[in-house]
Amino acid sequence: MKKFLMTLAFSLTALPAFASSEAHLEKVQVDTSPAALERGMDIVTSNCTGCHALKYIHYRDLLGMGVSKKKVDEMRGDKNMDATLVSAMPDDAAMSAFGKVPPDLSLMFNAREGRGNYTYTYLTAFYKKPDGSLDNHVFPGVKMPDALGYSEAADDKQRADIKAQAKDVVSFLAWAADPHEQERLLFGKYIMGYLVLLTGMLYVLKKKIWARLD
Amino acid sequence: MTENNVADGGRRDFLLMATSLVGGVGAAAACVPFVASMNPSSDALAKATTEVDLAGIEPGAIRTVPWQGKPVFILRRTPEQISAMAQSKGGLMPEDEGKRVQKGHEEWLVVVGVCTHMGCVPNKEEKGWTCHCHGSQYDDSGRVTRGPAPDNLPVPPYKFISDSKILIG
Amino acid sequence: MFNQIIDWVDQRFPLTAFVKHELTGYPTPRNLSYWWNFGFLAGFVLVMQVATGIFLAMHYKADSALAFDSIQHIMRDVNYGWLLRYLHATGASAFFFVIFIHMARTLYYGSYRKPRELLWWTGQGLLLLLMGTAFMGYLLPWGQMSYWGATVITNLFGASPILGHEIVIWLRGDFTVGDETLSRFFALHYLFPFIIVGAVIIHLVALHTVKSSNPSGIDLAAKDNIPFHPYFTIKDLFGLGLFMMLYTWFAFFTPNTLIEAANNIPANPMSTPSHIVPEWYFLPFYAILRSVPNALGGVVAMGLSVLIFAFMPYLDRSRIPGGARYRPWYRILFYGFTVDILFLGWIGFVPPTDSTILYGKIATILYFLMFLSLPLFSRAEERMMIKRGLPPALQAMIDSESKGKGK
Repeated sequence: MKKFLMTLAFSLTALPAFASSEAHLEKVQVDTSPAALERGMDIVTSNCTGCHALKYIHYRDLLGMGVSKKKVDEMRGDKNMDATLVSAMPDDAAMSAFGKVPPDLSLMFNAREGRGNYTYTYLTAFYKKPDGSLDNHVFPGVKMPDALGYSEAADDKQRADIKAQAKDVVSFLAWAADPHEQERLLFGKYIMGYLVLLTGMLYVLKKKIWARLD
Repeated sequence: MTENNVADGGRRDFLLMATSLVGGVGAAAACVPFVASMNPSSDALAKATTEVDLAGIEPGAIRTVPWQGKPVFILRRTPEQISAMAQSKGGLMPEDEGKRVQKGHEEWLVVVGVCTHMGCVPNKEEKGWTCHCHGSQYDDSGRVTRGPAPDNLPVPPYKFISDSKILIG
Repeated sequence: MFNQIIDWVDQRFPLTAFVKHELTGYPTPRNLSYWWNFGFLAGFVLVMQVATGIFLAMHYKADSALAFDSIQHIMRDVNYGWLLRYLHATGASAFFFVIFIHMARTLYYGSYRKPRELLWWTGQGLLLLLMGTAFMGYLLPWGQMSYWGATVITNLFGASPILGHEIVIWLRGDFTVGDETLSRFFALHYLFPFIIVGAVIIHLVALHTVKSSNPSGIDLAAKDNIPFHPYFTIKDLFGLGLFMMLYTWFAFFTPNTLIEAANNIPANPMSTPSHIVPEWYFLPFYAILRSVPNALGGVVAMGLSVLIFAFMPYLDRSRIPGGARYRPWYRILFYGFTVDILFLGWIGFVPPTDSTILYGKIATILYFLMFLSLPLFSRAEERMMIKRGLPPALQAMIDSESKGKGK
């Protein structure tokens, strides 16, 4: 039993430890409500998709997220429902401006150690250096401008607003990285319930069958 | 080896049956995702509708567009073709011209270009189409005029979004 | 009607005889604990992996330009594709989890001892096949961790003093891990499970020849054996229910904790992630690789750390029946080994620093020392136990079982 517990403890503890190197990240609770997702989408499409693409997100997927057909039609203009959220900036223009193509955001939520906490902290970690130039606590020397304007914030209220925006962005990106998550969690609950029932029945049956040996 | 097969009453039998039933239902349910994964995925379903810009198709010309992966013939018919077709009722499977085209847009024939016999794509001839696989013929309204094809070329669901744009599907 | 069909089959194929011999009449020690459930669980996970894998292969594209996108296609567009993929990815971890416990049970209870050497070795072969399959499967998502993991592991073969470089190139089919590598890994990842199925059949034939060991380590008299069916079918199914809860918990509630963050970034041959780690199930062996300062030595040590288990039947020289349950020194060694291998796993996980490298070296030496000292250690333990007299429980067991055999 001891061995079992240790093995179990190892496999359970070793995994979240992947994130432990990023201990200074601020924790954020992802908001899965459709309203938060849509706010996050609005911020992303107005502040991020100028340079970043979300190449795995199609306009049709936004309907599934809960955005109205009318709004999606306005967003896509002439584009097909099956088109993806590409960035407004061509790759070679990005290369000459930043020296690299800004990473795709579809999987960003999962693609960094610390997951959502990374993106959240990163977005609110911009600051002005004494010489007036911009830098980021989480990603020193970053090329990306301060998209949400955290370094420009004048007071705590403004900073709190920007943090709320960052949270919406992270919530939207969480959905973008794993659009079937809510369905998965729901399935998990039903399957767990079913397994408890079935395993309970198997246990009683096992007891009954083994009782024959006494 | 001890082998004690004395049944201990109906309770275990009931329990055995109930557990088998619950387990069986679970196993059957577990098959659903596997079977469903072989159905068209959502990106394939997204191609269920096709928007076609009709500008640039000359009278008498034909354009073939994919709709759900199948070829759809869009034929812009000349006045002669229109009047010839309006007078005829087709061949083997008579059908009124009114059911083949949309009122006010008689110029445009939109049919699924898949032979109703064995699924080949018929070739456009001077008059109508001929399927080179088995020799079936269709007129300029897509109605079958010579076998072995059993039916007319089907008209897909479509609507005119504007005078020069249709949405198929 | 049913009996007539069975009769018809039986005249042509030994169906009833087979079921009687291998299930309803197969003698199984009645004192098996739940630790004996893990072989069945491994078989179950194998079936799960094959089933989910075949359906995933219907949507996956083994092409370096398409592989990453096709995984996203599976995760987003394919009906229940996310479910199949999470079950398969979690299933790999579940497979090793189950196999490691299955092996630990064998080591603890001395199930590898005579006459079960071949059973143990076929199991060893299965472990190697499983590791190969898992390693090749890990390249398929074509993420950063996939790519660099495959690069590092194929480079291990470059440590060979003769033809090392040529072997690496041959394995990859290119100068670096590339499209060719991906295609062949996919072909072999699809093939290996069927070789595993064949090897499992051999493993089972060997098992049914020597029969299961049991916690006492003494072959039981007939009176203490019971038919496999229904007693162990129901016990295995109950254990399966418990296992499925753990599996479901991982696959449905935290599947992404088992997938490295960097594997959500497409493979980039021009840039290596700052911290690359293998999957958790390779960590102890990876730590041994890193602990040896010489490239060739490291590869040899890592290979030996897996293969050395095969020598257990000969390293363990004690003639005292049973495993750790009745052997106090061996039991200490077992727990020491468990701690050591978990510690090595942790060393393999953290980025190397001077101190972790030193700890890794000590743990590696201990790892091999425990195996290599076993012949002397087990003999000394035997002398000690004979001098003191066998534990009363063991003596009673031996007496009772030999009486039963006399009948």
